[in-house]
Amino acid sequence: MTLPTTEKILLEAQNVAKWFTTQDQRLELFHDLNLKVLEGETLAIVGRSGAGKSTLLSLLAGLDQPSAGNILLAGRSLAEMDDATRAELRAKQISFIFQSFHLLPELTALDNVRLALEIQDCKDAIAQADRWLGKVGLGQRTDHFPAQLSGGEQQRVAIARAFATRPSLLFADEPTGNLDEETGHQIIEQLFDLNKQENTTLILITHDSELAARCQRCVSLHAGQLHEKVYESA
Amino acid sequence: MKGFKLIVLRQLGSQLRTAEWRALLFATWIAIALATLLALLGDRLERGLLRESAAMLGADLILSSQRPINTERIEQAKTSDLQVSEVVQFPSMINIDEEMMLVSVRAATSPYPLRGEIRTRPEQPHSQPQAGEVWVESRILSQLELSIGDQITLGYSEFKVTAEMLSSPDRGSGLRSFSPQLVMHQDDLEATGILAPGSRAEFRLLMAGDSDRVEALELAWRDNLGDEERLFSLQADQPMTGAALGSALSYLKLTALIALLLSALTIFLSLRRFSNGQHKRCALLLSLGLNSKDLVKLYLYQLIIAWLVLSVLGTLTGVLLEQLILSWLKDLLPEALPSPILWRYFSGPAMGFALLILLGLPPILQLSKISVASLFRDEIVGGDKRALMIQLFCFGLLAATLLAFLGAPLAALTLLILILVGGAVFGWIAQKLLRLLAYPLAKKLLLGRLLTMRLEQQKRWHRLQAGVVILLMTLLSLVWISRTDLLADWQTQIPDDTPNYFVINIQPWQTEPLQDFLTENSIVSQLYPMVRGRVTTLNGSSIHAQMSPQQLEHNTLNRELNLSWSDTPPSHNNVIAGRWWVHDTTEAEISVEREMAEILGLVPGDILGFNLGGIEVEARISNLREVEWTSFQPNFYVIFNAAALEQMPATFITSFRLSESEQALASQLVREFPSLTLIDIGQLLQQIAGWLERLGDSSALILGLTMLCGALLMLLTLHQALEQRRYESALLQTLGATAQQTQRLDLLELLLLGFVCGLLAVITAELTLALLYLNLLNLQASLHPTMWILLPLASTLFFVISGFLLRRRLTLSQCYRLLRSA
Ligand SMILES: Nc1ncnc2c1ncn2[C@@H]1O[C@H](COP(=O)(O)OP(=O)(O)O)[C@@H](O)[C@H]1O
Ligand SMILES: [Mg+2]
Repeated sequence: MTLPTTEKILLEAQNVAKWFTTQDQRLELFHDLNLKVLEGETLAIVGRSGAGKSTLLSLLAGLDQPSAGNILLAGRSLAEMDDATRAELRAKQISFIFQSFHLLPELTALDNVRLALEIQDCKDAIAQADRWLGKVGLGQRTDHFPAQLSGGEQQRVAIARAFATRPSLLFADEPTGNLDEETGHQIIEQLFDLNKQENTTLILITHDSELAARCQRCVSLHAGQLHEKVYESA
Repeated sequence: MKGFKLIVLRQLGSQLRTAEWRALLFATWIAIALATLLALLGDRLERGLLRESAAMLGADLILSSQRPINTERIEQAKTSDLQVSEVVQFPSMINIDEEMMLVSVRAATSPYPLRGEIRTRPEQPHSQPQAGEVWVESRILSQLELSIGDQITLGYSEFKVTAEMLSSPDRGSGLRSFSPQLVMHQDDLEATGILAPGSRAEFRLLMAGDSDRVEALELAWRDNLGDEERLFSLQADQPMTGAALGSALSYLKLTALIALLLSALTIFLSLRRFSNGQHKRCALLLSLGLNSKDLVKLYLYQLIIAWLVLSVLGTLTGVLLEQLILSWLKDLLPEALPSPILWRYFSGPAMGFALLILLGLPPILQLSKISVASLFRDEIVGGDKRALMIQLFCFGLLAATLLAFLGAPLAALTLLILILVGGAVFGWIAQKLLRLLAYPLAKKLLLGRLLTMRLEQQKRWHRLQAGVVILLMTLLSLVWISRTDLLADWQTQIPDDTPNYFVINIQPWQTEPLQDFLTENSIVSQLYPMVRGRVTTLNGSSIHAQMSPQQLEHNTLNRELNLSWSDTPPSHNNVIAGRWWVHDTTEAEISVEREMAEILGLVPGDILGFNLGGIEVEARISNLREVEWTSFQPNFYVIFNAAALEQMPATFITSFRLSESEQALASQLVREFPSLTLIDIGQLLQQIAGWLERLGDSSALILGLTMLCGALLMLLTLHQALEQRRYESALLQTLGATAQQTQRLDLLELLLLGFVCGLLAVITAELTLALLYLNLLNLQASLHPTMWILLPLASTLFFVISGFLLRRRLTLSQCYRLLRSA
């Protein structure tokens, strides 16, 4: 197991708690949860369905506020940022990959990637988008619409879109959940390849133990607490 | 199947909260209410007015003429053993002190009426006024501040007002029925001195009796009616009274047609959207063990429950609206209307059934074709084509029944096509204009390409929305302008010296004293003689053989003309071809009005032959004149040289202007010349305007409902893009856009759309108004600046506000939840 070259902490959760109040019930997902993610690290989060993994991810990404505790990104508290700053953060530093791809159906593959680049005000968005689609092996399909692409291809467009903005932090919520095993493998290869090249910090939710094992670190969310899991290196 | 019932109710309950069901229910409600309203109102008005009842006509058969009824006819009727009554109806000014009022006088012999009755307050022992009495309508009492028992002056005679008429048959035709009515006995007529030979009046012979004899007489007379004669009977297709109300009714119906059309469209779209959203649910129910028959039943029950509830609500609403409109039109109606036929109450529910169930069936049938397998994969349920065909067929069927239901199918069809084509064209133009505006703008914006993408993707909806909004706003502004500005515009544009009084029925021996009276009071006016005659020949042979059917329909050939003579051209007419004759020429010469000459193809030099009440006269056209018909001067299609007609029995006509301060002269004139018929144009216009206003209120009500239908359709179509917008906005936000940015995008789209619609609506309204002004009213067209501000503003606000009412801002965590669950 290779340790990250720098020991700098990129993302840190301090005593984070999250609960939902519905009518008279209070549903607590976790409390006093602590997590440190180093720069360049790849981290897998596993756990039962309903354990709160997606919720945790949205807290870490600043999409939702914790009920208690603090989340720091590169030392700055997410809670203290205003909406515009957080949006800028998402545009420049954070990317997402979803289980169900989420491409805009009216845009071509190229335009879907280009859109993300345009939001962060990139000058040569078209060239960049084209280059990234080439990298995920879709150089010939740039003007195809999502409906004309298979699930795996759509997810690759989504990967291209996620990396194109050169994020320092990438969140992926069950990226292979909607794909068959074979295609899932290819997607994983692609993801880790690019991750290595770009030296992105990757936080990944998965049910797939193989996928989890490929990450440098793996934590399991269970009964509101995170437990480090150690896999034998393959 | 207890569980089944549960599902039906639960499903209905939860769907009531969806936008498409709300739109569906609301549109059906309005449609049912409107259909009920029209069915009831139309039926009652038609049976009460248009299809004449004997009680309305006051007789079984009426012979109406512009000349006194031929005594031969009266004898014939009497020898056929029919009861007869003679009626003369004419306009007159009655006066009390200085106050004068224009009324329509009916003088009838006894017995009168022959069928039906005049209802009075207080009740009278006789069926008609006796000698020395008059009965008047309430409007006369209130305007002249009269009460029962007071005296009024009519011509040379004094009368006692003995009763207020609540309703009366035999109101007469055309404009007469607009004026307040007064009834007197014909024995008193001569003493008033109002009617003299040649006076303008409608003479009627009322007949009643054994139906075979009536029919036989009608048959015998119909073939040899004189030019000036018309026959009215229960069988006749031409209604006598209520023609004006009839056209008002068809106007109401046409407005309602637009509303029904919009509701049908709303129902169609919401049903489609509803069934498209039910695919997964159906697959699920199938997988739980329901078979596809049950599935059809499930959705059909839902529609039927909705239909039942709405039928009750809608019918009630329709009845309420009908009562409201009838109360507005009350005193235009001659008597209490017959109560509606029972089955008419079911027209609304029937319409609702056709709309809901017919339009609903195809998508429901399609739902039954869904397979359980679609639960496991995202399958697009294809084969939409067949369902679409059925739906189109139903739509056509519905349109056909609608048209038949509305009566006047041709007018309705024309309007329908005009609306559809107009809507499509406007929609198309609006969408192009939107692109034209948005594309340059998009280049400058951060998310600009999303805007253009949105425009592309919403293209069809934008067209529909723009088409509907532009049509409705144009309609609304036309009604609004014509109610507020038209009369004012017209009044400011007519020159100050335009005459406001006409005097007709001036006998030859009265011309000199009248001229003296006018000169003494320095009133500028000219007297024109008037003789009635019909054009019979052109250049020696029958004119009928030489003219096309359209030409024969022209005003100058289809009836008797008022002819005049003069040796000098009227000061307000310009000779545009040929030359006016020399003074005292003895050859018969005529001057013809330009339009008549153009339409009939007449040129100077042609010889026209006339029949003047039995006397044939031929005259050469020596010149053509341009006539300003709206000048309120006496105007004639044909003017002879004096020598040609001077010997004919004639009455004279004149018009003049009395300023505000000179009004007293009018009553002085009536006092000095009691037998003259003075007509106050201002009062006449006011009386007509009064009716128009009331009809306007009724149509405004229906127009309001139409607007409601339009707004509903708009909201539905705006709402349909909402899910799409939410999803897009969620994705954009995770990609780093702020909520404001995505909101601004929506705002911009709606803003542009609203602005474009408003702009096009203004342009259309102005063009229509300009056409109306120039062609129909002979007014100068002018721009309406308030409209240029209000319409685009209103339209923009409408789109933006409804867009934002519908859309709630997504918080980031909601965005994420939306995306991860999809
Ligand atoms: N906004 C919310 N309100 C109430 N409950 C919520 C909300 N968001 C998530 N939950 C609940 O939190 C639990 C964890 O959800 P989630 O984070 O999606 O789990 P996982 O991704 O691990 O399957 C679930 O039981 C879910 O119902
Ligand atoms: Mg999850």
